[in-house]
Amino acid sequence: MGKTLAEKILSEKSGTDCVPGDIVTVPVDFVFSHDGTMPLAIQQMEKELSTRKVFDPKKVAGICDHASPSPSEQVSNVQIFMRKFARENRMPHFFENGDGICHQIVAERFAAPGKIVIGADSHTCTHGALAAFGTGMGSTDVGAIMAYGTTWLRVPESYKFQIDGDLPRFVTSKDVFLHIVREITADGATYMSMEFLGSTVKKMSVESRLVMSNMAIEAGGKVGLCAADEKVRAFLAKYGRAGEYRELAPDKGARYAKELNVDATKLEPLIAAPHRVDNVRPVSELAGMELDQVCIGSCTNGRLEDIKTAAEILKGAKVHPHTRLVVYAASRGVLLEAMKAGYIQTLVEAGAAVCPPGCGFCIGRTVALGDGEKVLSTQNRNFKGRMGNNKAEIYLSSVPVAAVSAICGKVTDPREVMK
Amino acid sequence: MTLTNIRSKVLRIYPPDTNTDEVISGKYKYDELDLKKLAVHAFESIDPTFYADAQKVKKPILVAANNFGCGSSREQAPQVILACDVSCIIAESYARIFYRNGFNIGLPLIECPGIAKNAKQGDELEVDFTKNVVINHTTGKTLPMKPIPAFMQELLEAGGLMPYLKAKHEKK
Ligand code: SF4
Repeated sequence: MGKTLAEKILSEKSGTDCVPGDIVTVPVDFVFSHDGTMPLAIQQMEKELSTRKVFDPKKVAGICDHASPSPSEQVSNVQIFMRKFARENRMPHFFENGDGICHQIVAERFAAPGKIVIGADSHTCTHGALAAFGTGMGSTDVGAIMAYGTTWLRVPESYKFQIDGDLPRFVTSKDVFLHIVREITADGATYMSMEFLGSTVKKMSVESRLVMSNMAIEAGGKVGLCAADEKVRAFLAKYGRAGEYRELAPDKGARYAKELNVDATKLEPLIAAPHRVDNVRPVSELAGMELDQVCIGSCTNGRLEDIKTAAEILKGAKVHPHTRLVVYAASRGVLLEAMKAGYIQTLVEAGAAVCPPGCGFCIGRTVALGDGEKVLSTQNRNFKGRMGNNKAEIYLSSVPVAAVSAICGKVTDPREVMK
Repeated sequence: MTLTNIRSKVLRIYPPDTNTDEVISGKYKYDELDLKKLAVHAFESIDPTFYADAQKVKKPILVAANNFGCGSSREQAPQVILACDVSCIIAESYARIFYRNGFNIGLPLIECPGIAKNAKQGDELEVDFTKNVVINHTTGKTLPMKPIPAFMQELLEAGGLMPYLKAKHEKK
């Protein structure tokens, strides 16, 4: 019987011919956690398994990104706890304040087609863009994996998103995902493998695919997979990992539990309005709404192509005096490339506050909002209180919409002003 | 091997898509590793009297509509609920990571379609694992629940993932 991407990877890894609903045990190729989840994972290992020893130091990473650079003495103490653990285990992969967001670091350095990647973070589904079975778990699971190197997984049913046609100008993979979540709602793919296929995805850069895979969890998805093709090979080669490439696609007769067709040519720039990711509206409907802050970055949209798009739009322009623009590159590597290309110079000249790579504004740990403020952000979640203030309103969009809106000081459709 | 039935009073009924930020705000999770202390802030942003009220009911039951526990993977969410001495959650459905986390730490999560409309605060509910039903002793109504998968039952019986794995690895 033909297999979906998820079924293929899990069959191979578990050494069984598995079908949806089976519970399989698989070796984990890479496991990571961060300053919000690693301390509890270590604590669980120590308390419940009476060990602090990781199964293979090369396959485990700790990353200081969620509250970084550390804004408080409590966080600094938690980070000390992590560092100590990494050193005593001689873990070669420990990432410091400023190195970047866990998912970007893992995409650049560790995820590859067919691998099992587990992170103590819900957006670990990001790595599906590289055809890795990436999924998020809690600290207890991750503590157990750090100790034993294996985990159990329920083989998910698969949901096929057949996306075809050319995306119109200023319409991005972010809009594709917002369209999908509007159609299927925030729990439309719960427990399922979301598989993004079709000519639109084939044409997309890996960076753009990472946006959709990253957001799979916002529709309840367990993983958000794309096929591994030449673009994935080129992405890996850029980071000196061409050897980790292999082609991976669903079988011809793969059986999908559900399917949704998306005609990319009909899509338009979209916004998710407070306080739900599936509360999606066309930008035109919200156009003119004044904004206190615009945020560009996060593990969703903080990659080089995002910073480039922002810089191209903001070149020679200024951020509106009533609006603030905050920009975070997703990793040190992205920041260095963006500096070299002159994008950071452009953004700083335009009036942006460019911060060191990390999660920053996304959870309001190092950049918080004020009461009643309205923010347009390129991140993945707009829950109440997400950005550090219960009384703020969070709107989500693509980078082009965010950049143009920063100049205008209000929600703006890039197609209206960029001719 | 079957689990012992759970019988207690409903403390709260939460709406669809109640997310983990609402269960425990992200701002606390970095600052406090002691779950008992963290528990004081459970549901604080949407339900400020939750913690105080939870102290008044013995081993209360939480009821929720669909997609309970969506959002972040933070395990502190089920952990603080457990630390408030909640005996189980009965929801229409759960977000995946929350579901997994709950069983891992030994918190029973019951899936029971229709429960949110068929229970009120203060009702006495019983989860019957032998018949796979939820009985509302206050109204007399019985609803079918989804049987707990065998593997999840094993986790609950062991007291969670860690004790389960420890026993397995020690046997080897
Ligand atoms: S950028 Fe936001 S969504 Fe991404 S890992 Fe950081 S906190 Fe989570």
